[in-house]
Amino acid sequence: MTLYRFNRQAAFATFLIVLNTIYASQIPELGIPFAKGGEPGPAFLPVALCLFIYVAGLRILFTSMTAVITEDAPERSDTVPRLAQVGPLVVLGLTVLYLIAFPWIGYFASTAFYALLMSLFFNYESSGSLTDAAWKSVLTGIAITAFGWLFFVQLFGLFLPVWGG
Amino acid sequence: MLADLGGGFVTLLQPMTFLFLVGGFLLGLFFGAIPGLTATLAIAILLPFTFGMEVTQALVMVMGIYMAGIYAGSITGITVNIPGAPSGVMTSYEGYAMMQRGEGPRALGLSAFASVIGGLVGAVLLMFLAEPISRVALLFQTPDKFSLVVLAIVTVTIVSSGSLWKASMAMALGLAISTVGIDPMVPVGRFDFDSYYLVEGITLLPAVIGLFAICELFVQSSTPSRIAFGEAPEVHKRLGPRDFIPSGADLRTVGAATYAKSSVIGVLIGMLPGGGASMASFIAYAEAKRGARNPEEYGKGSIQGLSASEAANNAMCGGAIVPLLTIGIPGDAVTAIIFGVFLIHGLVPGPGLLANNFDVVAPMFAALVVASLLIFVSVLLFGPLYMRLARINRGILYGVIAMVSVVGVYASTYSMFQMWMALAIGAFAFGLRRFGYPLLPLLMGIILGPYFEEFLRRSLIVSEGSPLIFLTQPFSLLFLVMTAVFVWLLRIGPARRARAGLRE
Repeated sequence: MTLYRFNRQAAFATFLIVLNTIYASQIPELGIPFAKGGEPGPAFLPVALCLFIYVAGLRILFTSMTAVITEDAPERSDTVPRLAQVGPLVVLGLTVLYLIAFPWIGYFASTAFYALLMSLFFNYESSGSLTDAAWKSVLTGIAITAFGWLFFVQLFGLFLPVWGG
Repeated sequence: MLADLGGGFVTLLQPMTFLFLVGGFLLGLFFGAIPGLTATLAIAILLPFTFGMEVTQALVMVMGIYMAGIYAGSITGITVNIPGAPSGVMTSYEGYAMMQRGEGPRALGLSAFASVIGGLVGAVLLMFLAEPISRVALLFQTPDKFSLVVLAIVTVTIVSSGSLWKASMAMALGLAISTVGIDPMVPVGRFDFDSYYLVEGITLLPAVIGLFAICELFVQSSTPSRIAFGEAPEVHKRLGPRDFIPSGADLRTVGAATYAKSSVIGVLIGMLPGGGASMASFIAYAEAKRGARNPEEYGKGSIQGLSASEAANNAMCGGAIVPLLTIGIPGDAVTAIIFGVFLIHGLVPGPGLLANNFDVVAPMFAALVVASLLIFVSVLLFGPLYMRLARINRGILYGVIAMVSVVGVYASTYSMFQMWMALAIGAFAFGLRRFGYPLLPLLMGIILGPYFEEFLRRSLIVSEGSPLIFLTQPFSLLFLVMTAVFVWLLRIGPARRARAGLRE
């Protein structure tokens, strides 16, 4: 008897199939795949890709639900519990906050905090000492902000909203 | 042609241009040597800066990164058994065994010397092959170009490790992403969801930064530092440049034939789409072992195995540039990003580029030669430092990468939307990587997608919808046959042998 288990691999394959469905929802707006005389139109490749992604997605979904998956446990950190989940969430959260703050408070303030907090996370994970990680990260934040300004604005003449507003 | 090539060297001697080469070389050394960072990542985060550079300086800098990055992948492989890049795996295998015997400097010196030989052979063959191949490429018609793109994307997909379905899915997703925006043949917006930001499509810059830089941040944030960097190496304080110069006896033991054969293997594999430095180094290593007088030494610190692997992976650099410049098809992630550097400066890689803009390309060739020589200079200057390179502070490293990645996208596009797009692609790529979907087919799909679609539709318009046009054109047929042969050799054949082995 085949056992079907909905695991994380299957969940990700389902996510890709859902994304493909969103993509497919736009295809009717492009008209029919072949115009007169058999000439392929703007919908031709998207239709072919969409069909292929459904087939591949369903195949991966089926395989992942029926296969016996022995996932290796993620390597554990000595300092940050559940690092495999927490780490990417910290990076994502900090980067989202940075992108929100960047146009409002400008390059200097937002980058200094972003680099400081990003550095704090990596330093704390490495050393396990918050005090040690904190002072290193303050220096790192200032240095990285200055480095970015020198490189982007001074050396390559690119524009940055330095003070925001 | 020789005069043009000479002109390339003269351009390279201009102080600013040479400075860009040295800067790129040092950046490549650094990124290649740090586990988790690669030459691909270095070139990806350099991409925004190239907006502010002259095209020659940008290309010269990229060549410096490429050559140094591939070489440096072996440094931490030798010193701490963690290759900075996948191409350094075989070198680590032999080099770390030497390191454990207290022969680290000898291993680093031999690795650098082999990289110089490989890099020079690759660069010289590139110079002599580029023009004849591009002359043939000028004869290609639209169906031929379509079949060539098919060859590239199919080969890149089938050589990806892991599930073929997942690699194919990644390629299809890349092609689907490339369809967002204005249709290449008729002025119709596609998949823009009525957003004017999406009308211009998903551009290369946020795609590259997202796929390689931001995705790497996610990966590193989920990796404990003791796993990422390994145990700190023993620090050798009294080493000098002489300790890193290979002895004549060692060079004779390796043998000119090993250097030559491995370098040619590297160039040939570099020319194949999806070949890459790792494959070059594996095959050259296997070939060296097959023909070795003392194959039992392999795996225990064989200087011949180490040299074969290193010569091949640096020779690959020149080989990988050949299809990019001559037919406009990138074969791996680095050349795909170099393709982007050309596009950013309004140049389209392909036979026309060599015919009309050889003055732009010649310094690139010269840069590959000089960067190869710089490898040996670097091991003499920085050899003692290499022993400590894996100890760099992660907070500084990933703080810089995070800032440069995100700010770089803004500085190049002045668009907050593109910054959000890079983050979204990075998070999506992290999901793909975590669940075993390779990223290279995805990138190749994004880059080659517009060409794939345009050549396909143009061909079908000419043939009034008949796909037989791809079989009646000689070059097109040749590329399709090559595609079928590669699929057989690289996927079907090994799978049949594996099944037959299981039955026995």
